[in-house]
Amino acid sequence: MKSFKRLRQLACAMSVMFVASMAAAAPQSGGTVVITTSPEPALITNALSSAPTTAELATKIFDGLLEYDMNLQPKPSLAESWTVSPDGKKITFKLREGVKWHDGKPFSSADVQFSLLKVVKDYHPRGQGNLGPVTSIDTPDAKTAVLNLAYPYPPLMMGLSSLEAPIVPKHLYEGTDFRNNPAVNQPVGTGPFKFVRWEKGNFIELARNENYWRPGRPYLDRLIFRFIADGATRAAAVERGEIDVATFGTINPVEMRRLEKLPNITIAKGGYEAIAPVMMLELNVKRPPLDDKRVRQAIAYAIDRNFVVKNVWYGFGKPAVGPISSFVKASGAFTDQGVTRFDVKDRLEIANRLLDEAGLKRGANGMRTKIVHDVSPFGEDYRRMGEYIKQALARVGIDVELRSRDYPTFVRQVHNEYDFNMTSTWSIGMADPTLGVQRQTWSKMINPKVPFGNVSQYSNPEVDQRWVAAQTETDRAKRNQLFHELQRLLVDDSPIIWLMEMDLVAVQNKRVNDLITSPLGLRGGLYDTWVSR
Amino acid sequence: MWASRARYVLGRLIHGLPIIMAIVVVNFFLIRLAPGDAAQVMAGESGAASPEYMAQIRAQFGLDQPLYVQFLQYMKNILVFDMGYSFRHARGVAELIFDRLGATALLMAASMLISVGVGILLGAIAAVRDRTWTANLIVTFAIVTYATPLFWVGLMLIIAFSIHLPWFPTSGISVVGAADTGLRHVLDVAHHLVLPALTLSFFYMALYTRLMRSSMLETLRMDFINTARAKGLANGKIVYRHALRNAILPVLTMAGVQVSSMLGGSVIVESVFGWPGLGLLAFEALFSRDLNLLLGIFFLSSILVVITNAIVDVVYTIVDPRIELRRKRHVKP
Repeated sequence: MKSFKRLRQLACAMSVMFVASMAAAAPQSGGTVVITTSPEPALITNALSSAPTTAELATKIFDGLLEYDMNLQPKPSLAESWTVSPDGKKITFKLREGVKWHDGKPFSSADVQFSLLKVVKDYHPRGQGNLGPVTSIDTPDAKTAVLNLAYPYPPLMMGLSSLEAPIVPKHLYEGTDFRNNPAVNQPVGTGPFKFVRWEKGNFIELARNENYWRPGRPYLDRLIFRFIADGATRAAAVERGEIDVATFGTINPVEMRRLEKLPNITIAKGGYEAIAPVMMLELNVKRPPLDDKRVRQAIAYAIDRNFVVKNVWYGFGKPAVGPISSFVKASGAFTDQGVTRFDVKDRLEIANRLLDEAGLKRGANGMRTKIVHDVSPFGEDYRRMGEYIKQALARVGIDVELRSRDYPTFVRQVHNEYDFNMTSTWSIGMADPTLGVQRQTWSKMINPKVPFGNVSQYSNPEVDQRWVAAQTETDRAKRNQLFHELQRLLVDDSPIIWLMEMDLVAVQNKRVNDLITSPLGLRGGLYDTWVSR
Repeated sequence: MWASRARYVLGRLIHGLPIIMAIVVVNFFLIRLAPGDAAQVMAGESGAASPEYMAQIRAQFGLDQPLYVQFLQYMKNILVFDMGYSFRHARGVAELIFDRLGATALLMAASMLISVGVGILLGAIAAVRDRTWTANLIVTFAIVTYATPLFWVGLMLIIAFSIHLPWFPTSGISVVGAADTGLRHVLDVAHHLVLPALTLSFFYMALYTRLMRSSMLETLRMDFINTARAKGLANGKIVYRHALRNAILPVLTMAGVQVSSMLGGSVIVESVFGWPGLGLLAFEALFSRDLNLLLGIFFLSSILVVITNAIVDVVYTIVDPRIELRRKRHVKP
């Protein structure tokens, strides 16, 4: 009997090894991968726009100074090595030799200087956040770039990927009106793929960069991005094998679960660690009744995060602890120690008690108060989440009216006029909280002229002081301590209800291998991706 | 005859000019009533923005200018057929529109052919075989297709003929990246065209069937048909030489309307089948508040309406020679 068990274990081990050896089969060169994404980007140079689909395309064409490994540690890209001065105000990058632009011109430190200072810092929507303290860049020789900082800025090293700070060719941009430069839509980069053509409303074709500086890469001959406006058609095209990869959001969660069961299709997990996306409800803390912390906490208690994850998003995510996502665990910035938890057993009683204490008594119809929930215009899933929230809050006596608007109307009303009670959205936390999470709750980000900042209008000196301190704190442990305190303070005060850490999974055909090899996932260079033929 | 027709069309076009201009003016102000502007949309899509970024986009798009300055500038350009620049796409509006016009025209032409052809045929059969099971079947079919939403028909066709029976591709205008040329390319496009053209033709086909049937029934009761019968003409000849040409006029009028709605009508089919046409471009332009592009598409479709109306008038005279074209108003003798 015992030996039989052994035998079974052995068989299991062997089959695991067999599968492993299959998976580790040598990558083959050649082939085409068709990716669908939505909506079609307006432009494909991400130095000028951080729209998600622009980034998905441009990160194949451009390189950054750095890339990041799965533990969010910097690794060489256009920069081969780097040193940070002891005071943290000078960072010297040694650039790679022999790198050429797609048009054959040599890449040099002048391109780095020009791209970071003249283009990315001013034109990339997150440029100020990533490169704000950089005052000048010295180029002692063609292969050295020295960044001079006004003050030490640790998050800088997390914001130099091709997603955040792509290096563009100075010789095509200098002296032009950047946004109207033809190079914006016929981009020339140093990345693994070259731009071939763009048939508007249809597809964008990229081809292998034969002179890519990583020897033997990329494996694929061609990468095609197809645009289909209808989600059901996209799902049908994946099912039929016309499309190999569908990015997150292009196919609704329930369809993803259906496709996953087909023999030739699987879900590609991972590749969003450096993006750390969190789904949330932003509350207007300037407007009663949400100006009362007890009411905000009551809402947090009333919503069952597990239900949202399971039934609205079909399990593509997990309940969030707070603003700082567990995706950035590797850096130590995340904590759940001492953070208020809302998923306790008697959460409904607590919510009712808090609302009673806040003086909101139940009326004749059983309702205490009424709020309007502006549903995010990013897709029908948000409407379904809104419907759940309406029911969940009705249980504790908060009457919720759902309001859906088209995108521009939504942005104006919620983000520019602050005319709302509660709104749903998702926000990217980035690998470093200063780069992403900070803008949700730092009082300096309250600005009706600039959408997607601190729309809750939350202003707390204790929080502000910690965000500012974290910007310049060079001691890793002390900096993480600040983030932990922020996590506790913010969750307790609940100006925003952080609901779910999102899994930005992709749907892929099994013929595609090594799709996710970077913490940026499909926003990486895809130079290691190959297809079985 | 043809010279006078050409003169007529030209006259109609000249008369159309003030109408087109009025449409441009109304559109210009009307679409500015929609809340939100392009800068907000772009910042929203980026998920982040700085005040510098917003100001810079507005200045570049001319959104910081007073409205009347924007208006005068636009009118000045449109008079020389300069439709302006889409800052969102970083391309000229004319280039964007003409890139997509071909696909839309192809889809429309194909679905016009199917809907007019099949519609007239079915309508005529239903009228001639009135009160038989064939006629009832046709009328039922027409009602069902008339009442079925387009997007649903499209999706059902995809599920039936792309997935369960893998005969046709789900979407697109050609196999992506296939650099086919000549006949192979034509066949590839035709293969992709079948499902979207069918879907788009269903609604109008039903409409034409019903129109044709009632118009035909009416014509068949007219005196000249009785005369023809009395003359001893064969039934087929009566139907096809006498009744059909007279009954067809209402269908032609509707077909003119269909052409005019060409740009707007195909948004749904274009989005379901990933067809790279103009409807989708207009739709996206609306939701991103890309006003220059939207105005350009409106401008073009107003021109199209004026031209189509003129052409339909001419076609009337070909089908029914009794109709005369006059450029002047009717004056009392």
